Amino acid sequence: MKLFEFFITKIFLRKVIFSIAMILLFFMANYTIFTATRLILSTFQGYQEVKSMNQEGTYIANLNPDSNIDMDAIAENGTQKVYDYLNNNFKYAFYTDGFIASLPNNDDMEISFSYMNEEYYKLNQFELSQGTDLNFDYQFNKDKEIPVLVGKGLSKTYPMGSTIKIELPVLEQSMTLKVQGVLKQNAYHSNFHALNSKNYYNFSVFLPVNQEFITHANIDLQLNGLMDIIILQTTKEKVTNLSEIMQDNLGLKFNFFSQKENFDYFNEYYLHSLKIMSIITLILVVIIICHSVWNALVSIRLMLKDFTINLLVGLSYSKLRKILYSYFGILFSINLIVIFFITAYSRYGSWLRKDAAFVTYGLFGLIGMDWFALLVVFLFDIIFGMIIVEIMLRKIKKIPISLGVLQ
Amino acid sequence: MTNIIDLSIREKVYKKKKTQLSILNNFKLEVKAGEKIAIVGESGVGKSSLLNIIGLLDTDYSGEYTLFGSLTDNLHASELAQWRNQKVGFVLQESALIDSLTIEENIKLPLFYAGTEKNFFEPEYFENVINAIEIKSILKKKPLECSGGEKSRAVFARGIIMKPQIILSDEPTASLDVENRERIINLLFKMNEEFKTTIITVTHDLEVANRHDKVVHLERSK
Repeated sequence: MKLFEFFITKIFLRKVIFSIAMILLFFMANYTIFTATRLILSTFQGYQEVKSMNQEGTYIANLNPDSNIDMDAIAENGTQKVYDYLNNNFKYAFYTDGFIASLPNNDDMEISFSYMNEEYYKLNQFELSQGTDLNFDYQFNKDKEIPVLVGKGLSKTYPMGSTIKIELPVLEQSMTLKVQGVLKQNAYHSNFHALNSKNYYNFSVFLPVNQEFITHANIDLQLNGLMDIIILQTTKEKVTNLSEIMQDNLGLKFNFFSQKENFDYFNEYYLHSLKIMSIITLILVVIIICHSVWNALVSIRLMLKDFTINLLVGLSYSKLRKILYSYFGILFSINLIVIFFITAYSRYGSWLRKDAAFVTYGLFGLIGMDWFALLVVFLFDIIFGMIIVEIMLRKIKKIPISLGVLQ
Repeated sequence: MTNIIDLSIREKVYKKKKTQLSILNNFKLEVKAGEKIAIVGESGVGKSSLLNIIGLLDTDYSGEYTLFGSLTDNLHASELAQWRNQKVGFVLQESALIDSLTIEENIKLPLFYAGTEKNFFEPEYFENVINAIEIKSILKKKPLECSGGEKSRAVFARGIIMKPQIILSDEPTASLDVENRERIINLLFKMNEEFKTTIITVTHDLEVANRHDKVVHLERSK
């Protein structure tokens, strides 16, 4: 320890510019790997989510980009006709979210309401930490309670069995909701059009939707629900007819993509961009490693006299190896701690901004994905550290530590 | 009297970029305790390389080396480091000081590696050394604040602080004026007289070389 302290204070930190350069290079490498790992992991999670819906005979609606939405031109009976057609001819999964409502809670978050039908609920298999699954065969009646699930954050204000009286904007009437279950913490939903981005349900209410509910809902809910509607166990021909019905009644052109088309889309855009991103990350990391090795070798050259004198008076290569590993261990640890704090602050920022869709729970504010990325960085640092130290030692041994160095 | 150094080198290959040079071919050296040996020869014949080998810094050669009755091949790297610390002292040119340390820290550096528990530090001996070589006034200074002569004496002090059995000196007077040269040589020989320390000096200065018990001429390998 005394020897290590001596080397840190009297040798390494005397060439402070190299230490700072090394920390900055390591930080760039670590942060690049950390960000790339999280992005890949998040995209993979989104892909897994989409994969569960992307079955043979399943078609996901997608508004044609050329369509212009003119809400005034869409009549409520138009959307209802589409739903009537859907109810008579298809099995479909309905989901829409982002309906913010003012619901008092301990954390002063704006609460997001997510509406889904039974088919969607079955497809996603949400995990609960308490209570029972949603039931969808309730009778729609303003005097009756609608069973709902709430996120972990909201369950502090509205625990299991409690009731919520609220005016639901989509129904334009006051309803009573009963908390039937609590979602597992950090339950999420990926954006199907940007798989790496996701919304968290910690401050959400899951509302079960049945045909009667949709009939009573306003056009906002009905139309939003159609935007990503998933048609199950059907054929291309039948969804083509549906698309025509939607065009006739809504004036909007919807595309329905098959399993193969969705996979092709994924391969074309996501897999390709993931590959590009991985290659760029790899190139960046290799460049940073090369710079770090160069920086280490230059610093060795500058410190060679100091190393030589220490070797002359009793330092052994094994001790020098331990010193170098400890030194780089500290540099890497500083970087890991900095990344940890940046991530924790970023997660905490969602709480400060009351950004309910991004608020998460976790140890020190970090969620599983963050810890996994930190682990990847840690493993990378071990390999990176070994490369740097062994190259430095090789260089020190290659330039004969001899009296000649001092002359 | 038995030899404390029994060195037999078949070949030492010195690699530099793409070229390699064979030096010290079939070289033998036997040194008894308390002897003063000078090594002379033209540049590039391997004088410093020989000192590296004797001083246990270089083990990459073919041959056999017995030091204090032990075959050095059988010594672990940490034992070699310990011997460099406690049995061999290096007296080098003035530049062989760590600039970030004070002169006192530089001199006491071998004590740091010896470990305090072994109590190698003898305050009285330390006082005698710094008084003898007149560096008391510069102990708290950094090397860059000292003159060439002062730095040479500091390097000398570090070389003898552990009372080594062998002192290896590599051109210790090369950049010194006559007065300082005499002072360093006299100090070296005084160590030899007082403690029977073996002195091995690499030098270009034939006058200095001739004051040793034995002069070894190194010649270029054919």
